[in-house]
Amino acid sequence: MRTGGGWEEVEFNSREPVYLQVVRHFKEMIVAGKLGAGQVIPSRRELGTLLKINPNTAQRSYKEMEERKLIVTEGNSPSRITRDDSVLQAIRAELLGEAVDAFVAAVRKVDVPVDELLDLVKSKYIEALSVNPAHADKEGSGERL
Amino acid sequence: MIELKEVRKRYRGRNVLNGLSFTAEKGSITCLIGMNGAGKSTIMKAIMGLVPIKEGQILIDGKPRGKWMYEKVSFVPDHLTMPLGMKMSEGLTFMADFYESWNAERAAELMRFFRLEPKEKIGNLSKGTAAKYNLVLGLALNSEYVLMDEPFSGIDLFSREMIADVFSSELIEERGVLLTTHEIDEVEYLIDKAVILQDGKAGLEFDCETMRSEQGKSIVDVMREVYSR
Repeated sequence: MRTGGGWEEVEFNSREPVYLQVVRHFKEMIVAGKLGAGQVIPSRRELGTLLKINPNTAQRSYKEMEERKLIVTEGNSPSRITRDDSVLQAIRAELLGEAVDAFVAAVRKVDVPVDELLDLVKSKYIEALSVNPAHADKEGSGERL
Repeated sequence: MIELKEVRKRYRGRNVLNGLSFTAEKGSITCLIGMNGAGKSTIMKAIMGLVPIKEGQILIDGKPRGKWMYEKVSFVPDHLTMPLGMKMSEGLTFMADFYESWNAERAAELMRFFRLEPKEKIGNLSKGTAAKYNLVLGLALNSEYVLMDEPFSGIDLFSREMIADVFSSELIEERGVLLTTHEIDEVEYLIDKAVILQDGKAGLEFDCETMRSEQGKSIVDVMREVYSR
């Protein structure tokens, strides 16, 4: 099981429910390609230990993710990320939408024509990708979004 | 469930506990939060029957306390109570002789978890190592409840992290844990429920996740509110 990266770096906010922050972290790992469709995820207990959180909180995160069809658990086998493409696409749309909303809210404070803004975003985004190519190592691995 | 009802205790002319009521459930981690001198250790000792209370009731699973509870509730005090001349391994044997619910297998597992050397003399242990050994003694009992008095107090960062790991492990799974602390940072994401002590009473008792989702407040936020009123 690949449970290596991405778990240690979680920084929780003490004013938001921890179980929802855990769910969000899963979503971020999915859209970043660190968790693929159908991939086995750590057990509840393992997750509690990895994230240093209360076992009941870990349990609650899994329950939430099961209800939202983000993960599936069949019988006694370990839980996996869903293979349902519509769920995965919805997560991607959700996170992307949130990020764009935050960006728009921040940039609204500056008076800027939309074309100028789009050009700027484009050049910055290309620059960022060339420094740190996203998902480059995942190209052609099949199970990506 | 451990249940305190209107518990009162006077100590040196002061009402240390002044009508304290709260509960600690099985399968969850409850934390008693209070300033130094708020009576946290007194509460632990009162539950264990180590200090008498003046008024009120303390019930374990609905029953008044008695000898039977020592197999069911284990107590990790804020200092080691084992004879200092013993080796750690001898301390484990000592516990095995005393308690029916002693689980030698789990004790061995805990000794490995904390990387403790059984041959070392208890009197020679550093503060952090002594705290870990103290936890081994409490957690190796097949008890349904574990009381821990200031498990993080006065020990180094790495020992604290190791002890924190216990709370997210199977070692406490399904048990009821009641711990005390005056430092919240360590336990913010580990506990289910907080009981904030104020003037010898429970100033507030709340579920941490519910508090976060309904009021957007951290445990420290709530503490500040309680202590400023």
